[in-house]
Amino acid sequence: MAAYVVRRLLWLPVLLILISLVTFALGIYGPGDPVQVLMGLHTRPEIVDQVRKEYGFDQPFVIQYLNYVSNALRGNFGYSVVKFPGQSVSDLLAKRFPVTFQLNLVALAWSLPLGIALGIFSALKRKSWFDVFIRALVILGISLPVIGLQPVLTFAMARKHEFGTFSIGPFLPVGGWKGMFAPEVILPAFILGLGVLAVFTRQTRAAMIEVMTSDFIRTARAKGLKEWMVVGRHALRNALIPLVTIIGFTIAGLFAGSFIVEQFYGIPGVGSLAFDALTSREYYIIMAFTLIAATVYVLINLLIDILYAFVDPRIRYQ
Amino acid sequence: MGNTLLDVRNLRTEFVTQDGVVHAVNGVSFVIEEGETLGLVGESGSGKSVSMLTVMRLIPIPPGRIPSGEVIFQGQDLLKLSAEEMRQIRGNKIAMVFQDPMTSLNPVLTIGTQITEALELHLGMTKDKARKRAVELLKMVNIPEAERRLDDYPHQFSGGMRQRVMIAMGLSCSPQLLIADEPTTALDVTIQAQITDIVKRLKRELGMAIIWITHDLGVIAGLADRINVMYSGFIVETAPNREMFANPLHPYTVGLLGSIPRLDEGKRERLTPIEGLPPDLVNMPVGCPFYDRCSFRTQKCLEENPPLMSVGVKHWSACWNYEAVRERRDEILHRTTRDVAPA
Repeated sequence: MAAYVVRRLLWLPVLLILISLVTFALGIYGPGDPVQVLMGLHTRPEIVDQVRKEYGFDQPFVIQYLNYVSNALRGNFGYSVVKFPGQSVSDLLAKRFPVTFQLNLVALAWSLPLGIALGIFSALKRKSWFDVFIRALVILGISLPVIGLQPVLTFAMARKHEFGTFSIGPFLPVGGWKGMFAPEVILPAFILGLGVLAVFTRQTRAAMIEVMTSDFIRTARAKGLKEWMVVGRHALRNALIPLVTIIGFTIAGLFAGSFIVEQFYGIPGVGSLAFDALTSREYYIIMAFTLIAATVYVLINLLIDILYAFVDPRIRYQ
Repeated sequence: MGNTLLDVRNLRTEFVTQDGVVHAVNGVSFVIEEGETLGLVGESGSGKSVSMLTVMRLIPIPPGRIPSGEVIFQGQDLLKLSAEEMRQIRGNKIAMVFQDPMTSLNPVLTIGTQITEALELHLGMTKDKARKRAVELLKMVNIPEAERRLDDYPHQFSGGMRQRVMIAMGLSCSPQLLIADEPTTALDVTIQAQITDIVKRLKRELGMAIIWITHDLGVIAGLADRINVMYSGFIVETAPNREMFANPLHPYTVGLLGSIPRLDEGKRERLTPIEGLPPDLVNMPVGCPFYDRCSFRTQKCLEENPPLMSVGVKHWSACWNYEAVRERRDEILHRTTRDVAPA
């Protein structure tokens, strides 16, 4: 097992080099550059060129890339040019990464267990009105775009609703960030978690329905086990195996989702940073963001492969 | 022996499907005494497994339903018990061993867990005590290094070993009745012999009654006291073991025996297959269900389904023409009078 983990980790640098090459090339050969954004379209070309030279953006691709790598290896991931002039990329990320991490954590914390629970009940009460209701909710959860949901929620939660002399609300703050335990987290974490909830409900339901028809469930019943033992001990353990697979995709999806949600709710996380960086073509930030995302992705997948061995005894890594 | 353990009366099981009602079991009645071994023989879809799953109340309802029948076990009708009362009997007084040991054990739980959970539940054993008993059980079914193997998972065992684990699991609470649903079908022949030997020995030692479901008359020959032959949800013939082989009186039983290869045959005789297919269980015929495939059929068979009729000592056959079967069966079985001489 340890050897397997080490071997998997050795691939990480190779992967990072490939990803950084592609990202860097896209940043440099793509239209526009941060200096252009900084100076605007009406500055005289000579001045733009001069500023470019100061930042080293006039160098050929290979030189720029090697400079970047050698700096990065020493912990220097470059500086912001446009939005946060002078701030180092590593400082920016260090400040913002924990925010995104906490937001995603809250989103997962409510949606993952609830999704699994709803999936189990839906599977056990198959074809009942409860099951039909849950399945309708799942379809809604998967297909509702954040862009449509966000204004509706804002309207419902942030406004004072007046009914003649009687009024209720506002219920929740709809922006800002005061840590993962402040009420500001509720709306963005709700929106972010909705997709996860839907996916996990659906997958758990499908996995449970399949497992419940297995021969070994019949064996468990023939042994006279209580129903909760049949479901909890014999069925659920097996249904978890396919769920482990999609946890990886889900977490990756959450990061993509926080791009938009952080933007909507003014949350100072990596998502909104990356959004700003993209619009102002600050490719040092984009580079760092991409590399971190890749690293996180690789680590999560490794974690999931390790998790597999625990959930499914038939899998042992040599 | 002598006391009735299980008395099944007029048991019917149906399944409601999109294509109509499937009549899987059509009024089956039989009795099994304490310590007796009953062989339940028939081809796929003959209702042998479904009838036993109905006895265990393991049929999913819906789509299944039990329109009539009584299953009297030790004086109480199992079909009238509450789900909770039935649960306490399952695995405790009546245990079941299933066909495919590859899929019938839970892949993510250790063998130890799967054996001890029933012991803890039904017999109220502590973890330690249940573990000791599990080791005994594994030794009883000849699993080497039983102690160490308790912590292994099913995939670490071979097919034959898994079936022995299943049997150990079935026997764990010392049931009065063990229902074995084709326990050797998925195994190769040498392993089959090992399993039947183990079951024979355990039956001698523990004295429980056994219902052994199979489509293979060869397996049952050395094992059963009595044999029920099933065809499309009916018991078509029932007789003591030897009588059934020496004096089969239903065309279907004769057909089954005729399709078994014989090693003692001098000439190379061709096997006689049973032509055709069993009837559609959704649209059951009015007459005898075996009519289409029968070489003894008459007009009466088309009009009326024969009930089980007494044709000898403890021997019943559901065939109007059993006398004709008696006279003409030898040509199907390729046997001479020497073969039928009483042993």
